[in-house]
Amino acid sequence: MPIRRVALVWLLGALAPSLAWADNPLVVEAALDREVAAPLLDAFEAAHPNIQLTFRDHSTLEVDARVADEDNPPDVVISSAMPWQMSRVNEGYAQRLESPEARAWPEWAKWRDEVFGFTFEPIVMAYRLDLARHMLPPKTHADLHTLLTQHRETLRDKVTSYSPVRSGVGYSLFQQDARYTTRFWDLVTAMGATGTNLEANTRSMLEGLSEGRYWLGYNLLGSYAMVWAQSHPEVFVQVPQDYSLVMMRMAFIHRDAPHPAAARAFLDFLLGREGQRVIAGETPLFSVRSDVVGPYTAQRLRDQVGERLYPIPLNASLLAFVDSSRRASFMERWQREFHRLSRPEPSQGEQSTESHIDKFPQR
Amino acid sequence: MRLLVIEDDPLIARSLEQALTPLGNTVDVFTHHAQAREALQGGHFDLVLLDLGLPDGNGLTLLAELRQRGDTTPVLILTARDGIDDRVEGLDLGADDYLAKPFSLAELEARVRALLRRSQQRADNRLMFGPLAFDAASGVATLDERVLDLPRRELLLLEGLLLHAGSITPREALENRLFGYGDVGPNALEVYISRLRKRLKDSGLRIRTFRGLGYRLEEETS
Amino acid sequence: MIEVDGTLKSRLAFWLLATVSALGVLLLVEAYFSSQRAAERAYDSQLEAAALTIAEAIRWEGGQPVVEVPSAALQILATRHQERVFYAVLDADGHTVSGNLDLSISPDWRRRVSSQPTWLNDSYHGTQWRLYGRELDSAGWETQDPVQIWVGHTMSGRKALTEVLFEHAVTRFVIMVLLAGILMLLAMRVALSPIRRLRHQLRQRDADDMRPLDTRVPEEMREMAETLDSLFTRQREGREALLRFTADASHQLKTPLAGLQTTSELALQSDSPDAWRQALAEVHGSAGRTSRLASQLLSLARLRHAMEASATARIDALALLHETAFDWAQRDVSQAHDIGLASLPASPQYIQGESWALRELLGNLIDNALRYTPPGSVITLGAVCHAQTLEVYIEDDGPGVSSETLAYLHHPFERGGRQDTEGSGLGLAIVDSIVRRHEARMQVESPDEKGGLIVRLFFPYFTQHEEG
Repeated sequence: MPIRRVALVWLLGALAPSLAWADNPLVVEAALDREVAAPLLDAFEAAHPNIQLTFRDHSTLEVDARVADEDNPPDVVISSAMPWQMSRVNEGYAQRLESPEARAWPEWAKWRDEVFGFTFEPIVMAYRLDLARHMLPPKTHADLHTLLTQHRETLRDKVTSYSPVRSGVGYSLFQQDARYTTRFWDLVTAMGATGTNLEANTRSMLEGLSEGRYWLGYNLLGSYAMVWAQSHPEVFVQVPQDYSLVMMRMAFIHRDAPHPAAARAFLDFLLGREGQRVIAGETPLFSVRSDVVGPYTAQRLRDQVGERLYPIPLNASLLAFVDSSRRASFMERWQREFHRLSRPEPSQGEQSTESHIDKFPQR
Repeated sequence: MRLLVIEDDPLIARSLEQALTPLGNTVDVFTHHAQAREALQGGHFDLVLLDLGLPDGNGLTLLAELRQRGDTTPVLILTARDGIDDRVEGLDLGADDYLAKPFSLAELEARVRALLRRSQQRADNRLMFGPLAFDAASGVATLDERVLDLPRRELLLLEGLLLHAGSITPREALENRLFGYGDVGPNALEVYISRLRKRLKDSGLRIRTFRGLGYRLEEETS
Repeated sequence: MIEVDGTLKSRLAFWLLATVSALGVLLLVEAYFSSQRAAERAYDSQLEAAALTIAEAIRWEGGQPVVEVPSAALQILATRHQERVFYAVLDADGHTVSGNLDLSISPDWRRRVSSQPTWLNDSYHGTQWRLYGRELDSAGWETQDPVQIWVGHTMSGRKALTEVLFEHAVTRFVIMVLLAGILMLLAMRVALSPIRRLRHQLRQRDADDMRPLDTRVPEEMREMAETLDSLFTRQREGREALLRFTADASHQLKTPLAGLQTTSELALQSDSPDAWRQALAEVHGSAGRTSRLASQLLSLARLRHAMEASATARIDALALLHETAFDWAQRDVSQAHDIGLASLPASPQYIQGESWALRELLGNLIDNALRYTPPGSVITLGAVCHAQTLEVYIEDDGPGVSSETLAYLHHPFERGGRQDTEGSGLGLAIVDSIVRRHEARMQVESPDEKGGLIVRLFFPYFTQHEEG
């Protein structure tokens, strides 16, 4: 499937020059599964038949790299790697969007009117039915710590989570976790002690759960996990009851966008009632807007989970996460805590001194 | 002679009529502009006596109208205002003489007579004063119908005095007439005057000297 | 002629507006710069706070400075206005320990910061940035090298704050100007009330009310009020003089009219044609005198009260003298006298004057001579050129007047001490007025015991003629 998708992207890319009849092309560079986003893109094309949309689906780090590509800048950049997006905006790669939609967008989900968080995706735990047979499934972070400590041997190699090295999203989530409580490091130690497998993306974790390799996953993207659970009954999704991080996909118009008008139309569509309605109704990305009704809305999630949703703040503090020395220092601590109670496992490669994640795709 | 008097004061108008009629004139009196204008357009007059201060307009306007029409009837202006401006304006507009009120009837009669004489001259080209007459065309002067045989300069002097008879003939005018514009002695003119005086002796006429001003041919008063 | 040249109100308003505008421009420029300074100070202190926060996070590990940039510092840098932020921590050699943008810090800047914290403005990718750098002497186990902390952000917040502060300043200023304008209008009403009061009083005055003003005026208007008062006084005096003159004139006219009345009344009562004839002769003579008196009074009134001199002109005095003599010589009244002209200077002699008045002057002198001399008297007019003046004289060989009477000759209604002749005595007074109008001098003398009178008039020459 990934191969097919990539092929599709390449095909589209190859076709793009021949689509010269399209008087109004638009290039979107996105870290967003095309399958997930398909209803949204279809709705956009239906609403703007004159715009020829080219949707390129890449990893967050690839997307980040393409922003700085001066020769061939994209029109719109979408990514879930919030600190990296923020950093690019701070570097001046975004242009301001002046529109009623942009102005009406909630303050907490935008920055400088240049970058907008247009989804509301909770971070969840997921477990396999097998886990429930042996123990009470965790409902909170503390439960998880207790479980990992008390059933260390039962759960050995059965736990999975994001690799902070290979995934920008994973790194961001752990950073955010660490900001909320110092007990997070006990959890890291416990995960290290159970020999937790660190994956580069949510899909791998879900596949592992379905295949039975993993019983328990921590810090999965709720949007993907919920869709997965619907078709895989052996997988259960648990929104943490103490607090649940919420990630937002951030979109901005590139400063040097070759087709700024189309780009503005696209963003206005994303932020507008119609786009958000599609997000709420046909994708698991959750709509930010409170005036949109559907199975996947921030409001409905709040109603279900309560007020324990903690969106990762969309402000300058995100820039600290991409600070190299801070990142180095965080990773150093991660390694130290992760291996505190376990033997070094060189085969995992986690303790390697690589400081850049750029070359690793998220998925 | 037919005279037109335009005067609104009834006392003066009656006096004028009574004074001028015995001299052999027909006098028409009008008290208003409008009537006078009609009368002037209608018939011939030998002299107009015009009062400037009329109830229905300034007499000067009437005078201007008259002269614009090319009517050369002599006009004597009568006015209570003796302002020099009125006088100058009146003469500029073509009035022939000017008399300020109050005036004596004798003076009025003299002026009227002089104006009528001038009017007469224009008619028959003869200068007449009392028994004296001068035909400018033939150059013959007569006294009581007798031809006066006069040398040229005396004839010229007589003609000059007759032209202004009744009023003073300026000395300079007579000198120019007799001697041209050349320099002459102060007594040269006096010589011819005394010669002429002798010829006019016992004719009822005399030449009166006005020192420094000129001479006047006048009737001897009894 | 009153020419209306704007109103006091608009004049005051104009000057106030001009000064307020000039002052306003200065104030607004000052307000703009002080708003800018205030905004700069406010945001500069944010930069300082962020730098200090970062400084707190610097540690030394293995002889190297290590910094975990605190999120708080970045949020302080970003401010409420969500500025783009820059930070860099440089070690002693200028190498970046930590930082986020490739904004280069020049060695010159580093030198400046090493002596004291510095604020700078810099342009980065077409955007204006405000930078702040400070040096930190951090103590470590191995080294004590200084570390420089640089922070910066874009300037939209400063601009916005400047605008807000400036707007407030402008609003305050506009309100102040409006208040000042209203106060000025009120003040002007109060200040101008004396003028209004005076105007009101003058308007309510009767036309013949010449009393002094009775009003309160401020010091600035005293002069005007006093001028008005003196004008009223002069008018009152003029009016009184006119009334006096009219009364005198009426009295003068009444006397001969009374004579006419009595004479004609007597004649009507009589049946004798001789008596009628005598009465009529008296009536005729009296009527002539009366009308002469009236015309003399008219002349005098014209001379005395026509204050605005009619236009004077250059006049050939000799021609005028000749013309006047010629005119009078022909008149009926002068037939009994020998009026003549002495030989005159050969060239024209010009004086400045009014011809009507000069004719009147000479006419009066001739008339006087005719009246106060017996028939057959010789009256001679002449002119003599003197160095400074032109003398015009009129001489008669009549009885003359006594020397003591000569002095009184100019007063109206003075008859030279004689009651026997006709005439009002106004003639010489008219003559005197005209002489004074022409800045001339008059001299009256009786040359010898036997009588005779000579009146000499000395006129200044027409000045331009003299110069030319």
